[in-house]
Amino acid sequence: MTASIDAQRPSLVGSSVRRVNDPRLLTGSGRFVDDISLPGTLHAFILRSTVAHGRLISFEFGESPADLVLGPDDIAASTEPLPFVWIAPDQQHLDLPMGDKTVRYVGQPLGITVARTRAEAEDAAELVEMTIDQFPGVADSLAALEADAPLLYPEHGSNLAVDFNIGDDSDVLEAAMAAAPIIVSRRLRIPRIAPSPMETRGLLAEWNVGTEKLTVWMSTQTPHHVRDQLAHVLRLRTDQVRIISGDVGGGFGAKEHLYPDEVMVCLASIRLGVPVKWVEDRNEHFTATCHARDAVHDARLAMTEDGVFLAIHTKVTGNLGAHFSNVGSGPFRVSGLMLPGPYRVVNAGAKISGVFTNTTPTGAYRGFGMQEAAWVRERLVDEAARELGIDPLELRLRNVISSEELPRLTPTFQEYDSGDYGRSLTMVRDRVREHVPLVDANPRIRRGIGFATHVEFTGLGPSVMQEIVGFRLGGYETAIVRMEPDGSVYVSSGVMGMGQGIETTLAQLAADCLGVDMGRVSVHLGDTAQAPYSAAGSIASRSMTVGGGAVVTAANTLREKILRIAAHRLEASAQDLVITEGRVCIKGDSSAGISLEELAEYSWLGWKLPEGETPDLEVKFVHDPSNISYPYATHAAAVAVDLDTGQIQIERYWVAHDSGVVVNPRIVDGQIAGGVAQGLGIALFEKVLYEENGQPNSTTFLDYLIPLASDVPDMVMDHFETPAPHIPGGMKGVGEGGTIVAPVAIGNAIAAAVPEIAGLILETPLSPGRLWELLRISGLINE
Amino acid sequence: MRPGAFRYVSARSLDEVFENLSDFGDEATLLAGGQSLIPLMNLRLARPEVVIDLNRVPGLAGIDLVGGELRIGAMTRAVDVVTHATVTGSLPALSRATAFIGHPQIRNRTTIGGNISHADPSSELPGVLAALEGSVTLRSIRGERSVGWNDFIVSTFTNSRTADELVVDVRFPLRTGWTFAYDEVAPRHGDYPLAGICAGVQIIDGVVRDMRIVAVGVSDRPVVLSEVAQASIGRELDEALIMQLSKMGREEFRANGDAHASSEYRKWLVGTLIKRILGNFALEPR
Amino acid sequence: MNAPQTVMAIRLLVNGVQVEREVEVRTLLSTFLRDDLGLTGTHVACEHGVCGSCTILVDSQPVRSCLLLAVQADGTNVETVEGLGSVGSLSPLQNAMWREHGLQCGFCTPGILMSIEGEARSGASAEAICDEVLSGHLCRCTGYQNIRTAIHAYFATKDES
Repeated sequence: MTASIDAQRPSLVGSSVRRVNDPRLLTGSGRFVDDISLPGTLHAFILRSTVAHGRLISFEFGESPADLVLGPDDIAASTEPLPFVWIAPDQQHLDLPMGDKTVRYVGQPLGITVARTRAEAEDAAELVEMTIDQFPGVADSLAALEADAPLLYPEHGSNLAVDFNIGDDSDVLEAAMAAAPIIVSRRLRIPRIAPSPMETRGLLAEWNVGTEKLTVWMSTQTPHHVRDQLAHVLRLRTDQVRIISGDVGGGFGAKEHLYPDEVMVCLASIRLGVPVKWVEDRNEHFTATCHARDAVHDARLAMTEDGVFLAIHTKVTGNLGAHFSNVGSGPFRVSGLMLPGPYRVVNAGAKISGVFTNTTPTGAYRGFGMQEAAWVRERLVDEAARELGIDPLELRLRNVISSEELPRLTPTFQEYDSGDYGRSLTMVRDRVREHVPLVDANPRIRRGIGFATHVEFTGLGPSVMQEIVGFRLGGYETAIVRMEPDGSVYVSSGVMGMGQGIETTLAQLAADCLGVDMGRVSVHLGDTAQAPYSAAGSIASRSMTVGGGAVVTAANTLREKILRIAAHRLEASAQDLVITEGRVCIKGDSSAGISLEELAEYSWLGWKLPEGETPDLEVKFVHDPSNISYPYATHAAAVAVDLDTGQIQIERYWVAHDSGVVVNPRIVDGQIAGGVAQGLGIALFEKVLYEENGQPNSTTFLDYLIPLASDVPDMVMDHFETPAPHIPGGMKGVGEGGTIVAPVAIGNAIAAAVPEIAGLILETPLSPGRLWELLRISGLINE
Repeated sequence: MRPGAFRYVSARSLDEVFENLSDFGDEATLLAGGQSLIPLMNLRLARPEVVIDLNRVPGLAGIDLVGGELRIGAMTRAVDVVTHATVTGSLPALSRATAFIGHPQIRNRTTIGGNISHADPSSELPGVLAALEGSVTLRSIRGERSVGWNDFIVSTFTNSRTADELVVDVRFPLRTGWTFAYDEVAPRHGDYPLAGICAGVQIIDGVVRDMRIVAVGVSDRPVVLSEVAQASIGRELDEALIMQLSKMGREEFRANGDAHASSEYRKWLVGTLIKRILGNFALEPR
Repeated sequence: MNAPQTVMAIRLLVNGVQVEREVEVRTLLSTFLRDDLGLTGTHVACEHGVCGSCTILVDSQPVRSCLLLAVQADGTNVETVEGLGSVGSLSPLQNAMWREHGLQCGFCTPGILMSIEGEARSGASAEAICDEVLSGHLCRCTGYQNIRTAIHAYFATKDES
């Protein structure tokens, strides 16, 4: 990939170049949705249910001061149902009708008011009378499966929405379990999480009455997907809809699909013929935007007396919320697919149940089922180590798949590609050995170090696999790389930036392949009128591996064309040419060459081209990867536990990862640090609370606590690189790993610090009050 | 979330405040620091008809020692209470407790009068006021009166100010020969405490002459642990006594439980904080 | 006495420029800066004063602009992120954040910059800013580590000059 580049010039790949979009973000000149204004814009407010379960029997607004009020009947008549994206086996519901007057969760959007300002739209909403006949509600998934539970869809007779197995057949698995000498089995829980990007959702919709086109500026991770869905729902042609996503203030999965309230805003613009803006406020975000996780795992790990793993299985009871989200039971399924982790097991599988409850639908969030799998598996491994009296690291090293055994197909049909899983373990082990733990005179402070390891599913693709698993998104990415007549480089891709620095790293790849300076490359993302089609967008840690792979191939193909043209111009052989400092030269003779500007200018004129070569210095490449990319990592956490208060401090944190070729080390480290911080939040603070009947109790940042700077330590990060064998450029995904492993590394550390409660560490958050309860049960509260 | 409509007056004098209070009574809300009020207004949980802004009324801020009392004007900002030499010199526990309020950006606006009037059961300052058996001074066109903390702080978010009155200062009577301290346990830095203790002790010739302990965050208002204090009188402040007081502290009152912390846990924290604070007192040289 | 109003004229300094406007009294200062003055660098992420994204300087003090009414800013000196530097000319603090990768999505960043700026000016140490001041801000992306590094780097350049 870096072949015909001047050997003296350092490669941009592996270079921590500064991010190209930072100057505008640092100076407050970003273009987030709410920063965009159009003349005549009106502002919307979404009316939502304050009742968890019921039937809307009237929606009255009389003489409203609002410019527009739309209620559910109007919305239902004006829209097609919104299709779901990942459909589970035998899933009955394939889409979400909008304007449904059966209310199934607090926050369900029912109507919209539009006025001159947001404040006035809220005033007008107060004058709308909504009468809801209340039914009993249920928030907990296990309670929703009980015989007398209120039913969200009475026609189905049950709140059990989906129920299927993955991996080995259950009789094979049960036989393996029955034959195993030792089984460690636990009920573990992962709480409900609110993704909480700092920028809430929002859009500015502009229906142009003359051209009959809808332009929507939106904070989204998936512009094309949203465009297609919006066109379908609003009964428009695809070409009538344009989505423009500028700067996005964090997504993490919460912004990867179209929401019904967003449709209502577009509908309002169409009705009024003026731009309509809606920005979600934080309070409504806590019920209006998809939650995540919320699963109970009844899991078993079977092994020999020597601790050689034989089989692993989990029965997942997942809380879907009031209706399927775009991905529905997908995260629960992935928690089964990735359950085996890096370990050599003969058998593995999962039974996945998805349950409806009167809560906000659950969907994608960084980690997508893998954080749950890691929590379950790595707690079971540590518990096994404790029961067998084997060192937890040693037990892991005994069971990890070696690099010689890769590629390897797991019992859950994941073909792990490349790497050295044991090396990430030993790397962290060696780092931890260098660490001198703090010693406290106070015997009521306990310290411990915990480890956890995983293999991660990134680079969602290939398309054929998507079809097999019922995930209605193509797995490919397309890159357009073009050298303009002035020699500058234009790169366009269907992936989207949301803070992960993809605008910079794609530029690094293109610049590196083409041998030009970063300053000559611009990356264009987010506008469906410009960007090549992406079915999936930026989800599932795929932007760099699938999107980057497309850019690498397109850029390399363009380079070859440039060299062919230069060879013709210079009457040399293409193999003897290098691109260096904006010129194509003969190796060893920089005076004999041609500037890229001149070459591009003449090419675009169609002049001086070799026979059969077209003038366009542009390559479009569709990269449909042949497999998922599987990075992996080991984390360790050193914690201090105050037995008197239940407070936990993370004192040190280590990561050793292999995410394939690292294009920008600083950006990769930043992704891991941010991911670990989110994982720390899951471990210690975060849980969305509902009362039993579905009334939400987490509606502000005072109820739902996310980590502060004082909670997150500095981290030691090591990495090594085993290139992804099937990805041009060799990159694997890296965005989610931090969040996946951190909660269980911390959980294992707490168990190591206080072994008396280890068997009780089965769910998070391990908040001070919760931890204290475990200490009390174990008799560690003295006096 | 944007506030509902209201009318606003930026009062330039106390007279203007009183006139507006007497005109609008219950329909009026006083705006001090705004760090508690404006979120409620943004969420439309508070719907005042009239907002009377106190921030430009002269003479309501200031920190003084008067007749053995630390007197702090109601509009004095928390940031100033934390650092002011008069506070750190005469009642460092108050400075410390105030430093626990949120974060610097909040403390730049939070006022003492506003914080105490808001009567948040998890708030630190009402606990310090109760520990010192302090008072607030209320003024109206009818005159001025001093109300002890116990009568002023009624319950959660409820005080005994009548609709036409304004809190003009907060007074902490200082106790010679006493040492006071404040400590708390909160989920994260700057959060409302799960439990907090303000405690003071007077030790003469190695023996406890008197003690006062108040807990916050455990009930709908500050809780005075009088039995605990009583049990210490005449005793040496040694480890045995501290353990005993800690245990008593856990049992003396009924605590509230909620999603953040069970009542047993809050009671436990009270005991732990008593142990820590009294343990520090015991270490101090006489 | 002034009768309570629903609309008022305000006059204030914003990034050194005198501004005069009529505003509805219920307009938050954050809304005024963004919508009336087009200074969209100050971001709103919670409207209950917890997240810190809306932090600006009022009379040199870092405060939450979502917890101030615009009318309260009458007669004050308001500074927002737009006053710190520009794309072609970043301030030393902005440069340090850029070098140290102290931002990812950038939504919380302006608020953090203003807190650091305000506290550094009033003499706070790098340690105090990294701990006490920075903990008044929520960041969902970075894990804070690089922001701390940027603060120390900024102080190092300040000491040099």
